[in-house]
Amino acid sequence: MRTVESEIGAILTGSISEITQRSIFRRLGGMARAPLQHLSTKDRHAIQTELESSVRLFAPAKSAQLIASCARALALLGAPGGSADPPAGSSPPAGPFALNPSAAPAGRGAVAAPAGSHAMGGDKRLSIDSEKDIASARLEAWAEAVRIGLSKFTSVKVATAVSELARNIVFYAGKGTIELRPRQDLRETRLEIVAADQGAGIEPEKLDAIFAGTFRSERGLGKGLVAVQKLVDEFQIDTRPGRGTRVSCVFRGAR
Amino acid sequence: MKPRDEQELPIIRVRGCLLVSIQTELHDRLALELRSALMERVRTEGIRGVILDVSWVEVIDSYITRILNDIGKSVRFMGADCYMVGIRPAVAMTLVEMGVELDAVSTALSLDAALEKLELPR
Repeated sequence: MRTVESEIGAILTGSISEITQRSIFRRLGGMARAPLQHLSTKDRHAIQTELESSVRLFAPAKSAQLIASCARALALLGAPGGSADPPAGSSPPAGPFALNPSAAPAGRGAVAAPAGSHAMGGDKRLSIDSEKDIASARLEAWAEAVRIGLSKFTSVKVATAVSELARNIVFYAGKGTIELRPRQDLRETRLEIVAADQGAGIEPEKLDAIFAGTFRSERGLGKGLVAVQKLVDEFQIDTRPGRGTRVSCVFRGAR
Repeated sequence: MKPRDEQELPIIRVRGCLLVSIQTELHDRLALELRSALMERVRTEGIRGVILDVSWVEVIDSYITRILNDIGKSVRFMGADCYMVGIRPAVAMTLVEMGVELDAVSTALSLDAALEKLELPR
């Protein structure tokens, strides 16, 4: 069966790593695995827009060529008679990373947010349930950082911090959420990240040991939290045994 | 086609060294398998060095660093050298800021550079 994942994957392989490809396809949700001929025009536009921003981000040198190849593959395999478009209601359920179709066809030049009062876009809430979510949370955070105009280096730091936080959630709490909240005022652009879980929490003595650098867990909880604290501009942790943990941090960028 | 999640990391032998290009998400099981596969081949094939190519890895966090460092440590215990090559600039800067330790692997700019260093008489 020819799906977006198989066809576009073949085009991207060699230019974009498998980790990133998987995350891109995850962001497309059910659309990535649907047979190509079942996709509506709207779906194809949404997929193309998503691919364009990801390709620009991860393979800037070859982006024009790759985007063109993807567009060709999508157009070629789309229903030529136009009759195969399913009714809107039958499109696959949107995942946590549902795409915004209204932003699709005109979005050619821009990863950038639309102008005006919504310049920073909405908050994003990512659910973290399994190890696979770590990679997609990381990519989602990276894309968000780039979108709101943080520098390339800061964006990698954002992705790394989110990776640490998501890992802590998966390893120690099982599941939780990570929220990305872009903010902008006259002085600066900020990305607030809130990682929350309902896990076992961390005892005060253990927390002290972690930040004193004397605590080592088997899988690196201590190191991860300390690493995040060093990467971010503001850091706050609220945790109580039995009540879960909430880490809030902020990355700042100049305006 | 094998599901991508289930693939093992291919280990390539080149000029008496083992090369692993990391292009997939490293998790506990995969990392352990990779480590034991590398150690077994170091022992049976008289390998002088192991090279981990991370040029595809866009984000390296403290957990991945620890996995790579553990592999380096194990390989060194057996008497071979371990090199990590192709770290991206932003990744390197992030690792420095985080203050993570990477003391059991040497680094080289490229695969060629690592092979050259490994070929020097010790």
